[in-house]
Amino acid sequence: MGLCLCAGVRAEALDPPANRVLRIASSTAETTLDPVGIQDLYSAKLASVLFEGVLTYDYLARPAKLVPLLAERMPDITDGGKTWIIHLKKNIRFAPDPAFKGKDRTVQASDLAFTLYRLLDPALHSPFSFLLEGKLLGLDELAKRARESKQPFDYKAKIPGIEVIDEWTLRLRLNAPDANFGHALAQPNLGVIAPEVVAFYGEQIGSHPVGTGPYFVKRWVRGSAMTLDRNPHYRPRPWDFDAGKDPASVKVVEEMRGKMIPAIPRIEIKIIPEAQSAWLAFRRGETDLIDLPSKLSPVALSHGKLNPDLVKQGIQHEIAVEPEIIGNYLNLQDPMVGGMDPAHIALRRAILMSSDDEAMIRVIRKGQAVRLSYPVPPGVLGHDAKYKSMLPYDPVAANALLDGYGFKRAADGFRRQPDGSPLVVRYWRTNEGESRDMEELAKRGIDQLHIRFEGHAVPFPDLLKAERSCQVMMRQFAWIADYPDGDDFMQLFYGPNIHANNVFCFQDAEWDRLYQESVALGPGEKRDQLYQKMARMVEMYGVMKISHARLHHELLQAKVMGFHISTIASVAEWPYLDLR
Amino acid sequence: MAAYFFQRLLQMIPTLFGVILLVFLLFNWVGGDPAYVLAGKFSNPEDIANIRRQLGLDQPLYIQFGIFLRQVLTFDYGLSWSTQEPVSHIFLTRLGPSIALLLPMLILETLIGIAIALAVAYVRDSWIDRALTLTTTAAMSISLLIYIIVGQYFFAFVLGWFPVQGWANHGQSWVRYAVLPILLGLAVSIAPAIRLYRTFILEEMGQDYVRTARAKGLSEMRVMLVHVLRNASIPIITNVLSSLPGLLIGAFLLERFFSIPGIGREVIMAVERSDFPVIKAITVSVAMATMVFNLLADLAYQWVDPRVKLS
Repeated sequence: MGLCLCAGVRAEALDPPANRVLRIASSTAETTLDPVGIQDLYSAKLASVLFEGVLTYDYLARPAKLVPLLAERMPDITDGGKTWIIHLKKNIRFAPDPAFKGKDRTVQASDLAFTLYRLLDPALHSPFSFLLEGKLLGLDELAKRARESKQPFDYKAKIPGIEVIDEWTLRLRLNAPDANFGHALAQPNLGVIAPEVVAFYGEQIGSHPVGTGPYFVKRWVRGSAMTLDRNPHYRPRPWDFDAGKDPASVKVVEEMRGKMIPAIPRIEIKIIPEAQSAWLAFRRGETDLIDLPSKLSPVALSHGKLNPDLVKQGIQHEIAVEPEIIGNYLNLQDPMVGGMDPAHIALRRAILMSSDDEAMIRVIRKGQAVRLSYPVPPGVLGHDAKYKSMLPYDPVAANALLDGYGFKRAADGFRRQPDGSPLVVRYWRTNEGESRDMEELAKRGIDQLHIRFEGHAVPFPDLLKAERSCQVMMRQFAWIADYPDGDDFMQLFYGPNIHANNVFCFQDAEWDRLYQESVALGPGEKRDQLYQKMARMVEMYGVMKISHARLHHELLQAKVMGFHISTIASVAEWPYLDLR
Repeated sequence: MAAYFFQRLLQMIPTLFGVILLVFLLFNWVGGDPAYVLAGKFSNPEDIANIRRQLGLDQPLYIQFGIFLRQVLTFDYGLSWSTQEPVSHIFLTRLGPSIALLLPMLILETLIGIAIALAVAYVRDSWIDRALTLTTTAAMSISLLIYIIVGQYFFAFVLGWFPVQGWANHGQSWVRYAVLPILLGLAVSIAPAIRLYRTFILEEMGQDYVRTARAKGLSEMRVMLVHVLRNASIPIITNVLSSLPGLLIGAFLLERFFSIPGIGREVIMAVERSDFPVIKAITVSVAMATMVFNLLADLAYQWVDPRVKLS
């Protein structure tokens, strides 16, 4: 009896009261929690509260603004942007873990160097190795040596690009000035990790996340549930952000004044893959936050606003445009529609002009998307809200364009190439339902042009493979920001990225030159002007028609305070929240 | 008996080899190249080649097949490609919730199914029998998905009798979360079980030995429960044992809707992520379990009815 009572008291002391637990539902399961191995958004969100990078994003600033996190201050940048000196805060402690054998372990510059090395270790094949590839002097060569010799990556090798100056200072030397390098340092994939933790857990490191973040993993049922508790070694930070002029931010600042980060002692995360289950659980108060799936928007919203019954219950509603671009593209190396001759440029433009973006938003997105035409979405540095597309949905003009360039209709009613050879648009997609709907819509547009249409469904890996070898003629493409800078989107069209991210297989010397210039410039008016030119060229050559970006609706129970949708999807809002 | 047992074990070897070969060929021809998925958004041909090399996908097919064969024999399928979790650990941790869901369902289905089947067979052709036939036919015509969606909405959300989800909640027993999915699963599976068992029992009730037992003055209770049920139990055992390998696949719809961390949900996630080690391990294990349970069913026949000779 005595034992039972003691256990009860101990459990009570350890477990926070139920009203101090934030309960979150996620529709997708985590994969790994080894920062370098993460490629999905949900795992990245988790990593963002378990690990910390040198920099992060200001919680409220829009567009995104980098601020120091593990760094004492923003890096000292010298040598025309080629040398970055990072001063780490002292006495930042890792969460307690058996790997440290009872010792209190503080973050040192060597840990940061190790973290940077790891991202390029070929054995870990990090999906986010691009953050550092080609950037730091000597790092690529080190990775290449390991890859070619099939020997383990040499973590002890000294390279000029990464130099530990003292316990808390690291000097990074870049191959060339890169205005976006700070974004790399803010990604969850570069959350600082200790070498002894990696050595201790070996290939199971993805199941044992040990960082300096505000939370640590208390309990984990893989792919199903996770309990995060406040990291006892975390140094609480004051909740101090500038609201600017945004009324929603002002409200958040008022709510959270005087609080510390993190305020909530425990977060419970549940993986609820089915939209109905997630919705019912939220309505029953079993969860506190829900990222509303678009198929549920007719149930919860009318004309984009929360239904009155939900408002009456005190449910809160936050909307943001996802930092993404979605639209149809054509392959410029395709034998049927590719080429830079005027006739084929006209053909591609006509095809893209047959794409009914409003119908796409209305029918497929159920109204939960906004029309876009610029390759850099809202909320991302370099976005131009005033840009006007030269590719409207206009089947009449598209037909006239085709007629004018000699794509005549034959006796069967379908158009032929100017030389009389067959003309067929082959639309690629995966096997899932939404992509089938997209094909239907694309077919409807192409039918109006009197061009023969073929749908081609393949498994996702096959689609990626075909896309990277420039075999996909047409497809709907989506890209969500990895970091909130226009460069993340513009690099998609860069010639040397063909067979990688440039799935359009577009190469134009003038465009590539402008892109290189933009990389050196960094955000600002001059770069914006370059981006405008580049965006126009993308439309002019009929590469891609940017169509829309989805709306992110987050619903919150009345008790949740301090929520503002993160400027970048891979960074979680949870440490900044509190419960009434 | 022992000779029969070993003979059947030997027969399993070529069958299992065929299954392994089929699974291997299917994944290689239909599954696509997972390196493109694993490489992430920013991959280049060099990254993809590196991943293919590390996964052994650049090896000739016969070497890849040899590796797969060794994995099956040692039951060591390595690590999941997407989560880096050992496949054996996935099996061990996900199997429990699936069994906790499906085993009670199977036991209840069998016991309730037999009891109702005996009762309606006894009053065959009465209005009760006809009403039950009609009800079970209607119940079988409705998809499991409808049962789940309506059941979860009505019993959990509207009436609030059960939680919507929460099997893996911190510090709470899974038992309270298991009741509704078990009842919904039972609602779907009980109807065909009653129909099937009723047929088995009716067939036995028409046999001469039943007439003889009645002529000897045995009570109806004894005739039904001892004589009829014992003889009807051979096809019932076949049916129950053939359902057991299904425990390895789990009830993926129930697991998805009720957020149960079982093997069925894991299979779906593995397919979505092209996680071949997990899919291959589960496919081969289900095939092996089917063969083993078929053998157990044959052995059980003799135990139930000593007249059955195994040869």
